[in-house]
Amino acid sequence: MFSPSVDNLVAQLTRLPGVGQRTAQRLAFHLLRVPKDEALALAHALEEVKERVRFCRDCGNLTEDETCEICRDARRDRAIVCVVEQPADLISLERTHEYRGLYHVLGGSLSPLDGVEPEHLRIDELFGRVDRNGIEEVVLATNPNMTGEATAAYLADRLRGRVRVTRLASGLPVGADLEYADEVTLGRALSGRREM
Amino acid sequence: MRAKPARPDNGAASGASGLIVGAVSLRDFRSYAKLDLELEPGLVLVTGPNGAGKTNLLESLHVGTQGFSPRTRADQQLVRFGRDAARIALRGDRAGVPVELEVTLELGTGKRASLNGARLRAAEQLRGEVTTLVFTPDRLVVVKGGPAARRAYFDRVLGRLSPSRAGLSAEYGAAVGQRNAALRRVAQGLSSRDALPPWNEQVSRLGAELVEGRRATASALEPGFGERAGELGLEAAGLGYAAEAPTVAELEARTERDLERGTTSIGPHLDDVAVLAGDRDLRAFGSQGEQRLAVLALLLAEAELLEERRGVWPLLLLDDVLSELDPERRRILADRLRATGQALVTSASRNALPGEPAQTIAVEQDRDGTSRAGAA
Repeated sequence: MFSPSVDNLVAQLTRLPGVGQRTAQRLAFHLLRVPKDEALALAHALEEVKERVRFCRDCGNLTEDETCEICRDARRDRAIVCVVEQPADLISLERTHEYRGLYHVLGGSLSPLDGVEPEHLRIDELFGRVDRNGIEEVVLATNPNMTGEATAAYLADRLRGRVRVTRLASGLPVGADLEYADEVTLGRALSGRREM
Repeated sequence: MRAKPARPDNGAASGASGLIVGAVSLRDFRSYAKLDLELEPGLVLVTGPNGAGKTNLLESLHVGTQGFSPRTRADQQLVRFGRDAARIALRGDRAGVPVELEVTLELGTGKRASLNGARLRAAEQLRGEVTTLVFTPDRLVVVKGGPAARRAYFDRVLGRLSPSRAGLSAEYGAAVGQRNAALRRVAQGLSSRDALPPWNEQVSRLGAELVEGRRATASALEPGFGERAGELGLEAAGLGYAAEAPTVAELEARTERDLERGTTSIGPHLDDVAVLAGDRDLRAFGSQGEQRLAVLALLLAEAELLEERRGVWPLLLLDDVLSELDPERRRILADRLRATGQALVTSASRNALPGEPAQTIAVEQDRDGTSRAGAA
């Protein structure tokens, strides 16, 4: 509609998650308007990230080296591994500063509807680590939704007997009012209540 | 006829704690351009000629209290022809506490709902606040339709009795969908059989919860259902649900067969809940009249169960139920409805209701097709 190269830019931007045709157009015109080096800085950043960043050989986290910072950190407890779906989940857990063990990033959750089967996730790598590295506990921290639960159940079945397996508790958000909790969350919190 | 066991009654009128709609205000809803109507508690008769707008009035109360129409999922149909927004505002009283509900439907932008002035995330959230039960002639499908209609009905009842399990049926359905997708991928050679175990497990686990929920629902509903049906002349009415959820081993044993078909061949997504009179299945062997009585008895039984458990009567909306009942059954039904908090019943004839209703609303249609309603 504008020129082939603008159309191409818009088409590329539309492929990003959460970006529709309108937003893509706005972003494209913005990039056309700004000075050349500012626009190219974005292109460079993209190039750099794709060239430098890779997955940690051990845990699957993002890194620019062979292994990630967490795996290299000698102060970390190597007997415990926390399994998450995505690197973003790892960052959330890191923000708590409560967890001092290692991680294992699966790269997603089982969902045949989306074509994701066990062999598409870093599951064999996890079993390998458990068998080789003297791991004592695996914490399953996949999302508490259908596909995350299925993934956790699948892993738990296969790890049982080899290592201690635990699952993140589900319950109420801290600081929230019971009044605003939805029934499902509250129901789960009730069935998972503990002695005081 | 068996007598209903006395419910503990602390001297308070049993309807005092129910949801009572005191005022309805409509703008451009279906055939109503503008309506401001006061309602009385108890049994309210909505009368008027065919096509005047009686059903639309009941529907507006359903949308206003539940956030959706029992007739259609196409919300744009609820907006008066040629207009671009409809509004339903209800004022009421729940357990002595004033409640204000408002639902607006805008063409293009969708639905908004608020409770006591506070906007809700989704209009359907109203369901968690107020319960409304509805009878319309097409509800006969619950008894005479296929198993899917009955499953959907009993799963909705489960959600109303136990809101934390309202999503269970959909969640189980999603697990079956994943297992079916895995089956097809294995059959096409796109993935190994390793893809199946996680979904056998989910289908088995969620299936067990769903079967347990349905069983609890059927057994909670059955005594009241039998009594109300008996009163209305349908003897020995009962519910039959003898399903078992499949175990992981049972699902595994079906693997070959399921791979061939590409679908999961056992589980509660294939169950049926039998609606019975004695050992006669009313779906196949009931007359239309018996099927109607069964649907009505189910509704009354659920209303009583909700009242028993929460101390609040649901709002009852009964469309066109009287015309098919003989005078004695009308009297029995009317007495039952009088004992609830508030029930609106439509009828083309003002004399269809035995005894005096608490209020009669007359609905008329103007020459330009708009409806008007007022206390008669």
